[in-house]
Amino acid sequence: MTPEGISELISRVSLRDRAAFDVLYAATSAKLFGVCLRVLGNRTEAEDALQDIYVKIWNKAGRFAVADTSPISWLVAIARNHCIDVLRSRKPAAVELDQAAEVSEPSPNPEQAAVASGEAQRIYDCLGQLEADRAAAVRGAYLNGDSYEALASRHNVPLNTMRTWLRRSLIKLKECLEG
Amino acid sequence: MSPTEPDDNMIPEGDDFIAAEYVLGVLPEQERREVARRIETDKPFAELVARWQTQFDPLNDEYDAAQAPQQLKSRIDQRLFAIEVASSSSFWNNIAFWRGLAFAALAFAVIGIGRDLIERPARISEQLVASMETQGSSVHTLAIFDDQTKKLKVTVVSGDMPKDRSLELWLIAGNEAPVSLGLMVSPQVTEFNLSSPLLAKLRDGTTLALTVEPVGGAPGGAPTGPIVAAGIVRKI
Repeated sequence: MTPEGISELISRVSLRDRAAFDVLYAATSAKLFGVCLRVLGNRTEAEDALQDIYVKIWNKAGRFAVADTSPISWLVAIARNHCIDVLRSRKPAAVELDQAAEVSEPSPNPEQAAVASGEAQRIYDCLGQLEADRAAAVRGAYLNGDSYEALASRHNVPLNTMRTWLRRSLIKLKECLEG
Repeated sequence: MSPTEPDDNMIPEGDDFIAAEYVLGVLPEQERREVARRIETDKPFAELVARWQTQFDPLNDEYDAAQAPQQLKSRIDQRLFAIEVASSSSFWNNIAFWRGLAFAALAFAVIGIGRDLIERPARISEQLVASMETQGSSVHTLAIFDDQTKKLKVTVVSGDMPKDRSLELWLIAGNEAPVSLGLMVSPQVTEFNLSSPLLAKLRDGTTLALTVEPVGGAPGGAPTGPIVAAGIVRKI
């Protein structure tokens, strides 16, 4: 489906068009469920999250018109943010660390990078300029929803050190992305 | 590299960094909640968040699509629409309430179709769809053309199929006479095979309509009964 098609569906959903909501779900739920599975690492939680996410999409569809972003990015951001909220509200930190260990470290995906072009390529190029472990921390945070605690423990550094690492990485990234 | 290296215990907390931390998702629960509240009320800060989000958006490609279980959509509909109907009508207005529940149950069918869409990357193929309904009829159907199998899949989203009559699907291209595509055999999913001349006519702007016909379909090849649902095909 084209981004224009998804945009149109979202604006029709904001007008309370249930048929558009059906089609939007059919066209996008697999992607958003993929986000839930990866961040939450658990099917039951992912299924609950996906329901909450589409309830949010129904209720927030009117905001898409003023968001300066592609429709699928907008939807994925709702899904990611919701899943990370769920992850952070889990009580025992130990669960989170175990979970993080189960998720395989995201490997650089050369095929993806080759397909990506222009703006999309840029984030990969800029991550590539960071030291490998720092780039892995940034990607792990974004893609898996790793918390500072999880990252610090994985990389075997104190929490504040991790925060400093990440901050420096982000400064470098920003320079590279906007440079 | 900045000339003054920040000390591990002295982390500067610029708004831009906080925005990036929020987008990355690393903040603990309480801080994350506070930042989320701030996004709602502080527009310049919200813009910082949006800018970081845009920078990271390309990584979203790395999330592999995965098919959600069939019953999820009907649970979502139940949450959204059954409650909406129940709360907007009187407590005793059971008819509206049950109609809402029935809608949710029938939405299963849509997911049956959706599965086929889902397994392909969302943005690669364009999709021909038509939402069919008409005033005065409770039948609401959804048609999706599957470009891979070249089949038109039609499902009844809400309303009932007549028991002692047939529902016949018609394609109307421009001002041409309706051409029968066949009969609905199931409220869940009925697949229609289209001949090549008809395939060429199924495009953005074509009308699809369902009429009530004698069992087995309209005898003369032209619709005879009332239209219970109609819609225009759109490319999305």
